[in-house]
Amino acid sequence: MSTVLSYVAAPEGVPTRASLEVLTRARQLAEAGGHRVAAVVLSTDAAASADVLGRYGAATVYAVSDAAFAEPLNAPAVQALADVMARADAALVLFPSTEGVKDLLGALAIRTDAAVLPDVVEVDWVDGGVGALRPVMASKFMARVRAEGSPVLVSMRAGSVEASEAPVEPTVENVSLSLDASAATLREIAGAAAGMVDLADARIVVAAGRGVKDAAAKALVEELAEVLGAAIGASRAVVETGVFPATAQIGQTGKVVSPDLYIGVGISGAIQHVAGMVGSRTIVAINQNADAPIFDVATYGIVGDLYSVVPALIAEIKKHKAG
Amino acid sequence: MRFCVCVKQVPDVTAPIQISGGQLSYDAGRVVLNAYDASAVEAALVLTAEHGGEVDVVLVGPERAAETVRKALAMGADRGTHLVADGELDSAAVSSLLAAVASGYDVILTGKQAQDSDAGLAGGMLAERLGLPYVTNAVGLAQEGDAIVVTRLGDAGQETIALPTPCLVTCSNDMNDPRIPNLKGIMAAKRKTIDTRPATDVPAARVTTLGYEPLPTRAAGRRLDGEPAAQAAEVVRLLADEASVL
Amino acid sequence: MDETFDCIIVGGGVAGLSAAMTLARADAKFLLVERGAWSGSKNVSGGVLWGRDLDRLVPNYWEDPEAGYERFVNHRRLTFMDEGAALTIDFKSDHFNETPYSGVTVLRSRFDAWLAGKVEEAIAASAHPDDSFLATDVLVRELIIEDGRVVGIRAGEDEFRAHCVILAEGVNNLLTRQAGLQTEYVPADGLAVGVKEVIRFDKKVLEDRFQLSEGSGLTNEFVGFATGGIEGGGFLYTNRESVSIGLVISMADLRKKGGPDAGITPYSLLTAFKQHPAVADQIRGGETLEYSAKAVSTGDMSIMPREVYGDGVMLAGEAANLVLNAGRAIQGMDYAMRSGILAAETAVEATKAGDHSKTFLAHYRTALDASYVMQDLRGFQQAVKVLHSPAMFEGVPRIACDFGREFFTVDNKPTRKAYQILRDVRKRHMGFWDLVKLGTRAGRAL
Repeated sequence: MSTVLSYVAAPEGVPTRASLEVLTRARQLAEAGGHRVAAVVLSTDAAASADVLGRYGAATVYAVSDAAFAEPLNAPAVQALADVMARADAALVLFPSTEGVKDLLGALAIRTDAAVLPDVVEVDWVDGGVGALRPVMASKFMARVRAEGSPVLVSMRAGSVEASEAPVEPTVENVSLSLDASAATLREIAGAAAGMVDLADARIVVAAGRGVKDAAAKALVEELAEVLGAAIGASRAVVETGVFPATAQIGQTGKVVSPDLYIGVGISGAIQHVAGMVGSRTIVAINQNADAPIFDVATYGIVGDLYSVVPALIAEIKKHKAG
Repeated sequence: MRFCVCVKQVPDVTAPIQISGGQLSYDAGRVVLNAYDASAVEAALVLTAEHGGEVDVVLVGPERAAETVRKALAMGADRGTHLVADGELDSAAVSSLLAAVASGYDVILTGKQAQDSDAGLAGGMLAERLGLPYVTNAVGLAQEGDAIVVTRLGDAGQETIALPTPCLVTCSNDMNDPRIPNLKGIMAAKRKTIDTRPATDVPAARVTTLGYEPLPTRAAGRRLDGEPAAQAAEVVRLLADEASVL
Repeated sequence: MDETFDCIIVGGGVAGLSAAMTLARADAKFLLVERGAWSGSKNVSGGVLWGRDLDRLVPNYWEDPEAGYERFVNHRRLTFMDEGAALTIDFKSDHFNETPYSGVTVLRSRFDAWLAGKVEEAIAASAHPDDSFLATDVLVRELIIEDGRVVGIRAGEDEFRAHCVILAEGVNNLLTRQAGLQTEYVPADGLAVGVKEVIRFDKKVLEDRFQLSEGSGLTNEFVGFATGGIEGGGFLYTNRESVSIGLVISMADLRKKGGPDAGITPYSLLTAFKQHPAVADQIRGGETLEYSAKAVSTGDMSIMPREVYGDGVMLAGEAANLVLNAGRAIQGMDYAMRSGILAAETAVEATKAGDHSKTFLAHYRTALDASYVMQDLRGFQQAVKVLHSPAMFEGVPRIACDFGREFFTVDNKPTRKAYQILRDVRKRHMGFWDLVKLGTRAGRAL
């Protein structure tokens, strides 16, 4: 019996929300196609997340533990995944569409002679092949695509499916590999401060745009994010001016986010930015300009001055949380 | 160092694109050099201007895409290769065609993805076919002796990674602002050689596009009026009761 | 590169590309510089390209499956409108189906790119495949003028020299003024503003609605309430899968009667025009793809440049103000094409003669005068005045619509003869002698 394999990103031993969504979809597709469902974790201590993965239905967890996975380099990951795919007889491998996954998908496909459907929002079996729906043309359109043969690699945008539990007692297979020395070497990671919510995986995102011009406005955005437990994102404009770090950039050239709640503060909604957030479930837009294109995609639009709207919003959220 | 930059001609995604009967249509004149690839060309030109070397560009695409090769030459690339191929090619096929002509370089650069398909696979595939170490989504590129030092935007932050040459890097457009060719560049480009040949041994596509669809329509949004306090109260109520996200 | 070109063309619109094609065919070494992309920033215009010059530039262009035109025109309508009614004169003829077509609709975003491609082909087939250039995205800020003679251009840091320069830069006539051929900006009163939308339809819907066959198209021009009593007119042209609809509005009259203070803007007028019952039904269900506005000169010869040539320089197309405001729409692409061809032909002759002086380039003026372009423009000078008279967009359309209302209304009263109706409605809107005078002027002019 071949396998539907789910790739799990578990920084610090905790599977990301997007990984659990992908595992949920893998479980559903395994049931529909008569396959086994398994998860693969590459980590310094990969077995640590096995319990959680079992809760979401992973019958087998391939745990590949190696010190190499402490660093975000693609070569060891490609090697390990190719090995696990062969062991598991993987017909279909689902990935969360993270930067780390984008970094390894192409090489892995060639190494394992797999067809790839990257960055999809829907995936299913379609008459002997795998069908998917994926945003193209700067997220202006959806393309219905199809992959033939086996195996097929599919990466899914976060928020494409709802994660759901289906507990099983997982079999943990500890995979030990002798990884080739990586030709690439990591020098440093200038990252977001520890404890910050990861943007791509966040359930709530507060994003700042051109309207957030000064320290006072930035402080308001940060306070709003804090009361909501949200990650902070930004448009390209305020990343370029240095008000927010490059890691915060949402959009076609930054991160694609699809949280349950996205709040855009002073964001006009240029096409490049919208391409990175239009998949959000609920969108709140706060902007002074009533004609800003962000209002075209907003679930709730507030035309107003952020200096008065955001403090009022913070107060209301505090009240709601208290009450 | 010798650079090879793989480029693609794509429809201008900022121009109007229509959809009808599952197919996309746009004005024939509205095709451009993929913006991410333009950043890759720019990066190669900056590095060779500083450290010496040369820049070749390679394109796989229909006959009319020759103008895009010419555009890269007008920016300052030295030579072009145009593998003429019509119809839809999947990333695997493109990387296979590129692999046949892109070997023997110190550094291969590509855009991190094409603006039309937004797949982002061809770079990694090409690196694997050529057995090269690679890094995707670079926002910074430097040359240190025989090595290339890449800053990439990763999940946890900006990762700085050193690659020995030969290697491959896919570039984000956040890396630089590509130059607009000047008149001298445009004139010089005409006298540079483009090696044009038909693409042969095109692998059968395993991934096909069945058709295009408009984005799912979002339910019409609601504007919240009134004073800031009233707006805030209303949006919090809606987020809690209607959207169930608080 | 110290070479001297036979000719440098500034501007890659219809006039510039027509000149380029002519030069390429004559094996000249030339450089064409366009400040935008072939398509993009200047996708504003579009409309009908009348006449047969396109066949001269690209023989049998209609056989090219990728040809850059939209539809050939075999059906024309002229509509008189008042607030709620419209009376249309409708003309369709088999004669228009024959090639070469007498008019084709074009969208510049497609047409210019196609024509540029054809010019590139002509360059490749010429004696100087590597020494003639079409360059886009290059802004020319300055002419090089030595001893009163234009000898080249400056683009950025670089200088490029040529035996002569053809300025086809359109209505923004920066270089034309540097050459001393126009002293001022075109005065605002000599300008009209054109506003246009391109509205997309499913091809089948479009062809059914406008009774088009594969490839054929319709033009509809509007006078009267189209512009809400402000001097101007409206147009609607069918493209392959869209219609172009718009207004041409006199800036002087708009300033007098409207302006942003009165809440009347070209855009608000266009919106009102689109909601007129005679128009709304035609564009129902379409999807607006783009809105654009552009200043155009009105074709009043009194604001023509001092001369269309000088030492080492010629003007073509709109830079030479070779446009005609036919009251309802701006006609200029055909003049642009012909003037570009003639200027280039003159440049070729000048190179043969080794003489690019003002005296020799005067041949351009002679050729232009002898062509239909100047004859049209001169002949229409009176027409311009007639068409710009208030009667043409007030009285006449009202008469037409009132006549139509009464003539076509069946109300169980004794039927009146048409001339009686006409007499009565005329009395309501215009003095008899005013109408006679207008008719006489129009008769002489047209």
